[in-house]
Amino acid sequence: MFVYEKKLQFPVKIATPNPKLAAMIISQYGGPDGELGASMRYLSQRYAMPYAEAKGLLTDIGTEELGHMEMVAAVVHQLTRNLTDEQVQNSPAFAPYFVDHTTGIYPTAASGFPWSAGSIQSTGDVIADLTEDLAAEQKARLTYDNILRLSDDPDVNNVIRFLREREIVHFQRFGECLRLCKEKMDARNVYLTNPAFDKQTPQPRS
Amino acid sequence: MYQDANGTRSASPNSASTAVQSASCPDGNGTMPSCAGLAVPYVPFQQTGSQKYAQAEALSQGTLFPGLNLPFHLKTEGSTLPSSPMTELQALDFVVLELGTYLDTHPDDTEAFQMFQQYAAMEKAAKAAYESKFGPITRTAAASGSSYQWLNDPWPWNFGQNEVK
Repeated sequence: MFVYEKKLQFPVKIATPNPKLAAMIISQYGGPDGELGASMRYLSQRYAMPYAEAKGLLTDIGTEELGHMEMVAAVVHQLTRNLTDEQVQNSPAFAPYFVDHTTGIYPTAASGFPWSAGSIQSTGDVIADLTEDLAAEQKARLTYDNILRLSDDPDVNNVIRFLREREIVHFQRFGECLRLCKEKMDARNVYLTNPAFDKQTPQPRS
Repeated sequence: MYQDANGTRSASPNSASTAVQSASCPDGNGTMPSCAGLAVPYVPFQQTGSQKYAQAEALSQGTLFPGLNLPFHLKTEGSTLPSSPMTELQALDFVVLELGTYLDTHPDDTEAFQMFQQYAAMEKAAKAAYESKFGPITRTAAASGSSYQWLNDPWPWNFGQNEVK
């Protein structure tokens, strides 16, 4: 189960509303490499993992990603607070989002494509899933890089830099986890069986 | 390459380091198997005894470990944090989270586990102190007040949270 803590992982305090920036940052809430996808990916993959380290790591990182989702939502919420009709009219980048969602938080990519489970995978295969997770962390990292390229708001960049660094740490941990899993698999050929599905290891041909 | 708490990179570990360094392998590097198998991805293992930031610096940098701190455009100043009881709690909480994730892949690192125990105790005490002064962070804690304060402002996503507390 999950228990809510009424605090953010990292402080979010955006002094200046900026709907144009909000329209870009929403991608890390509901875009293809955003935090909603990250948490759903890891929290779904963990069930098929046969090894304790992988169960624990996917649970812990998946839970942290839920907190990152909340942080990204807080950034978008604060960037769009107290807007006037005129500010929305003068922000063509934000207007399409506004017409559907006003200033509510909705999981969508910056392109307007709504969040889709099609942007994540859960294969039931230890190596395939953990390798996907390595790629996912890199894709999230580069999305934060691109937000840093586009944003000159120091309050926003504080938060984005933190989230970006978390992707790098998670990449390291998934890589280590893959190594730990591999050590428990068949040393002659790690692809000989899928330990999550093939309960009996086939005898190799001599 | 090492990095001190001010974000300065240097060729040697700083005096505040809690880590035991191996001269042959700097902190930003890890270990690979001596004969790695082909056709499977490898990320080097972070070594035990890695250098660590103090908690406020860790939260600011987004990692406890200088060796894992690889910022965009090498901007090593970290993020500016408001000075508040909430931020102090967030920093303790962050060290517990970071060490927990580290221990998921390094469960036999006794030094890291001891630090995890210490920070978990500090975080627990700090959270209780915060809750008694400013209101509940968990719903369970809402039961210990004289009335139901779970609904009180500020909520975490509101602009005012770090301003009020």
